[in-house]
Amino acid sequence: MAKTSRLGNAWHVCLAAAVAAFIGLSPMAGQAQTAGGDLVVVQSSNPPSLDAMVTSSQASRNITMNIYEPLFGFSENIRPIPILAESVEISEDGKSYRIPLRKGVKFHNGKEMTAEDVKASLERYQKHGATQTMLKPVESIEITGPHEVTLKLTESTPTFLEAFASPRAPAVIIPAEEAGKGPSEIEFIGTGPYKFVEYVPDSHVKLARFEDYSADESHEGIDGFGGKKTAYLDTVTFRVIPEPGAAVAALETGEVQLLEQLPVPTARRLASNADIAVYENMPWAFLTFIFNMKEAPGDNPKFREAVQVALNDEEVMAIATEGLFHLYHGWMYEGSTYDAGDIGKDHYNLADADRAKALLKEAGYNNEPFSILTDSTIPEHGKAAVVIAEQLKAVGINAVINQVDWPTALNIRLQDQGWNGWTLMMGIEPYLGPAALISTLTGAAPHFRANDEQLDALYQELISTDSEEGRKEVFARIQKRLYEFFGIIKLGETGLMQAARANVKGFKPFRFPRVYDVWLEK
Amino acid sequence: MIGFLARRLLSALPVLFVVSLVSFIIIAIVPGDVTAEIAGSDSTEAQRMEIRERLGLDRPMVEQAVRWYGRLLQGDLGDSYLLNMSVTDAVLERLPVTLSLAAIALVLAVVLGVLLGIVAAIRHDSWLDQGSMSLALFGLSVPDFWFALILISVFSVGLGWLPTGGYVPASESFLGWARSMTLPALALAITQMGVVARMTRSAMLDVMSQDYIRTARAKGLRRHSIIFKHALRNALVPIVTVIGVMTGVLLGGAVVIESVFSLPGVGRLIIGAIQRRDYPIIQGGLLITAATFVFVNILVDLAYGWLDPRVRDGR
Repeated sequence: MAKTSRLGNAWHVCLAAAVAAFIGLSPMAGQAQTAGGDLVVVQSSNPPSLDAMVTSSQASRNITMNIYEPLFGFSENIRPIPILAESVEISEDGKSYRIPLRKGVKFHNGKEMTAEDVKASLERYQKHGATQTMLKPVESIEITGPHEVTLKLTESTPTFLEAFASPRAPAVIIPAEEAGKGPSEIEFIGTGPYKFVEYVPDSHVKLARFEDYSADESHEGIDGFGGKKTAYLDTVTFRVIPEPGAAVAALETGEVQLLEQLPVPTARRLASNADIAVYENMPWAFLTFIFNMKEAPGDNPKFREAVQVALNDEEVMAIATEGLFHLYHGWMYEGSTYDAGDIGKDHYNLADADRAKALLKEAGYNNEPFSILTDSTIPEHGKAAVVIAEQLKAVGINAVINQVDWPTALNIRLQDQGWNGWTLMMGIEPYLGPAALISTLTGAAPHFRANDEQLDALYQELISTDSEEGRKEVFARIQKRLYEFFGIIKLGETGLMQAARANVKGFKPFRFPRVYDVWLEK
Repeated sequence: MIGFLARRLLSALPVLFVVSLVSFIIIAIVPGDVTAEIAGSDSTEAQRMEIRERLGLDRPMVEQAVRWYGRLLQGDLGDSYLLNMSVTDAVLERLPVTLSLAAIALVLAVVLGVLLGIVAAIRHDSWLDQGSMSLALFGLSVPDFWFALILISVFSVGLGWLPTGGYVPASESFLGWARSMTLPALALAITQMGVVARMTRSAMLDVMSQDYIRTARAKGLRRHSIIFKHALRNALVPIVTVIGVMTGVLLGGAVVIESVFSLPGVGRLIIGAIQRRDYPIIQGGLLITAATFVFVNILVDLAYGWLDPRVRDGR
């Protein structure tokens, strides 16, 4: 069932170059890295905050992950690796994590990082962190040496390190004297390869190379969020340009050097431009359709199944993503560690109108309105909603679209009434793995409003299973369950198109634009 | 004159009160709040409630309104939820960008529009009249964001003469500032240029048929003197009225142009605040923008007196 959209020949040549760069064939063999210059990176919106702990916004993460560093982060193949930590020693009962810290690491204010800073930072995260639940298992943070902390957990939590390494709203380390301050009230001081210079909202954020940066010499080069990082550029300017056409024009004139995202049709046009390199950052996100299981007709599993079998996912994805998509039924990326194989494949992308109509009859559906909540802020959401509504109308469902802005959609979907279905792009959750993804569908406020008891139980089993093999087996059962009660429909996977001037070397598409190990060819 | 000015300033107060009240009511009835922006879309209800309590958003609307007006009477517009600065600082920091953009666009629109209008009027029914009015109609018809992208495509991408966007403060580099403002101001001016050109043509045609113009011609005055000294000055009164209204349109239109050219102005500040539900910025920004509009219209009223002695003398 896996299928990738077809693109033009020039596109493939460019894509091949990007893939070659991505897998490391060319970084950049035979090319000398040159220091200096100002790299101008464009993103479409302001960072809500540069206090990395308090926001899970992508616009913030793009910048803050170049300024701050956490104790642990994900490697390129999504495994937790030490970044400011040197290693970790887990006690046999799984309740104690002894973490020696890297020595000689300096903050941007010149002070050396110690265990006190780490303790103060993690305690601040427990108070203000945007995803503070990841430190919920931690009972105490003890300083067990000048460069060592020990985390005591209330109970053994096998998935703790994966959660702790999450970059969603990272538990970064800041100086202890800043840690007492409230959300967004800190000076933006980290340990990363670039330091904060200035932020002019709606204009730019400027960073400068941190000359005293202490690189992690235990690696050969960068690895995911960690590894050995080298800052070649004198300065990096993140410019905020909301209008995609203007951003592309700035790239074409050479005023800016890197676009964090650009429209797919424009990327196709630029693929033939020798001065510009186009990158496909894929897979980036799942596009999903979520039911409100507390309100009719979505409270009926037969009705939800009818929607699942009625949908032509290929058509939805093709229109919603402008052709940048991959069809796959699995609730983890194809070929990834937790990929559960063919489970659910027989329900995916069926576009089976007859079967849908039969299921609707079985569900006792009587033309009740089916309100699809969507927003105009994320274009894929709105476009997907339009196609879904048309497909559902074709099988006899009285689908109506309620398009609002993003804050309003977030507000409405937290209510038990007033919506029946909701289009949502899940970006970081599938990347973080099964626990992060399924946690949004269970607990006190699952996306589909009503709890599925079996799914809740499976999630608890997932996070308490010690071995990876065991967790894989549990996740396979989770995927099976998702295709039994149909609370959420996976429409497909999409990506990000990115582009850089040809003289930008060393850039590798990732979850945020890593501006370290990037240089400008003279 | 002082009495006239005092009356106009006093009459502005109810206008500003209504603006503040309407913005407050709209905010109160629009769903969604800033908590999802601060804590993230996947935050828990407890986290969001803590933020609401901290910001006072859990209080009854009447109490919030009393608090807002109490502060306002002391000249305090409050603090932004997201920018970590006061509303006054946030708006004043960006006001120069928006005002200079609107002012340059206004000058361009008036100078080009009046010239086109005069040419059309004095060459009435000629090809120059048709050409000028076609140009004015083009200006009126094209969406400013489309024209902005065309300007970028021609002057930035094609010719490489001017930057595609971004703002350079004049204090940093005057030339850089002028370069960064040229295309945005042109894009913003194009629609208003059309309005001014059509209004000037109409007013000039009206004035040119008056007896005193015929008398001036009969006296043998030079054509240049008749057009600029006698005709244009009398035709300016309706044009100045349009300019007053245009100021509001330019301040509003700056929102789109600021987005296309990524200029950090008040328009983008308010739009960003609406999208993220940063209420103090929305309320304060609207109030200051409305006050600017009212102030410009007072200046326009004063200009009537300068242009027309009958207004000045109360006749």
